[in-house]
Amino acid sequence: MNSLLPRVARGDRAALREIYEAQASRLFGIALAILRDRDAAADALHDAFVKVARAAGQFDPARGSAEAWLAAIVRHAALDLARARGREIPAEGLPEPAEEATQLHSLASAQDGVRLRECLATLEEKNRTEILLAFVNGLSHPQVAARLDVPLGTAKAWIRRGLLSLRECLA
Amino acid sequence: MTPEERDALAGEYVLGTLDAREAAALRARLASDPALREAVEAWERRLHPLAALAAPERPPPGLLNRIESTLDAARPRRRALLWPALTAASAAVAAGLALLLLIRPEPSPLMTVLLTESDQPAWLVEARGGAISLAAVNPRGIAPDRVAELWALPQGATAPTSLGLIPTEGRVTVPPGRIRPEAGMLIEITLEPPGGSPTGRPTGPILFIGRLMPARGT
Repeated sequence: MNSLLPRVARGDRAALREIYEAQASRLFGIALAILRDRDAAADALHDAFVKVARAAGQFDPARGSAEAWLAAIVRHAALDLARARGREIPAEGLPEPAEEATQLHSLASAQDGVRLRECLATLEEKNRTEILLAFVNGLSHPQVAARLDVPLGTAKAWIRRGLLSLRECLA
Repeated sequence: MTPEERDALAGEYVLGTLDAREAAALRARLASDPALREAVEAWERRLHPLAALAAPERPPPGLLNRIESTLDAARPRRRALLWPALTAASAAVAAGLALLLLIRPEPSPLMTVLLTESDQPAWLVEARGGAISLAAVNPRGIAPDRVAELWALPQGATAPTSLGLIPTEGRVTVPPGRIRPEAGMLIEITLEPPGGSPTGRPTGPILFIGRLMPARGT
């Protein structure tokens, strides 16, 4: 995958198709978790791949894997669409709190996921829940606050505290 | 902004909780704020494993075609200017050369402008008499622990040839002999570890890229 992106940067369409074939399902899943609407998720994946074709030259393997780079582009494309829609996205399809344990379990099988899971486990449950909901499901500060039934400022402060603890734990 | 605030903001951006205005403001600062860029990259690395929590799902059929259509439609903006111009220029140069050969034996120089990712001109490149010279028009620094390496990829070649390390500003001349400049050749500058690419091929991101073409009106 790392060798495909430089080819994309030189305008090699076959390399772009190869990336799409290998990554589209994973990346579509990431967009769908945030947008919970197949048409919108397809729009996000479209925007992301157009960006990939244009920005492939900026990929720097010294700073992370191609998979992570692609996922970040797709997430931000999906988040941009979610913002453009005022994040009026149905809450249905969001994981129930009980599912989070299973979610975290699957994290351990992900590359680099073990350490992150251990660090997430050290967080207070409400901080952990918010971080997962925001990252995986694209919930905004107000949405997190509404879901946990706390004032906006409290939700923001919890998220900041959660991020800070994570950073210290992962350092 | 304190380093703590910057890091918290970068974390919230990567997490996705910033609203549209805050996210746009942060993005606007990224290009000119290396510390913020570093902080965002660090958060992307930390949180990336969470992306595995989203269940894979097959995208609708036809999406790849739609992506390619968009790219084809976008291409004229960047390329159509280049290719027809290149063909027309080649014909004109060929015709002109026949007339000019007696008067001016030196072949027409090849030129290109290397652009940044935001399409700003960064380097003027001119190939004349087998030498390639570059002049920075929009210098920008790179990380102190990295170097810029110049490459040329002749049309049809599978791997670029290194033309050596270059300073990130000022003027550079590659003497004749390293490579024979020709129309259609890609010239690119990549970011590499100190001493240059250890593999003989570009390993870092492409900072600038452009394609040599005959200069008209010369």
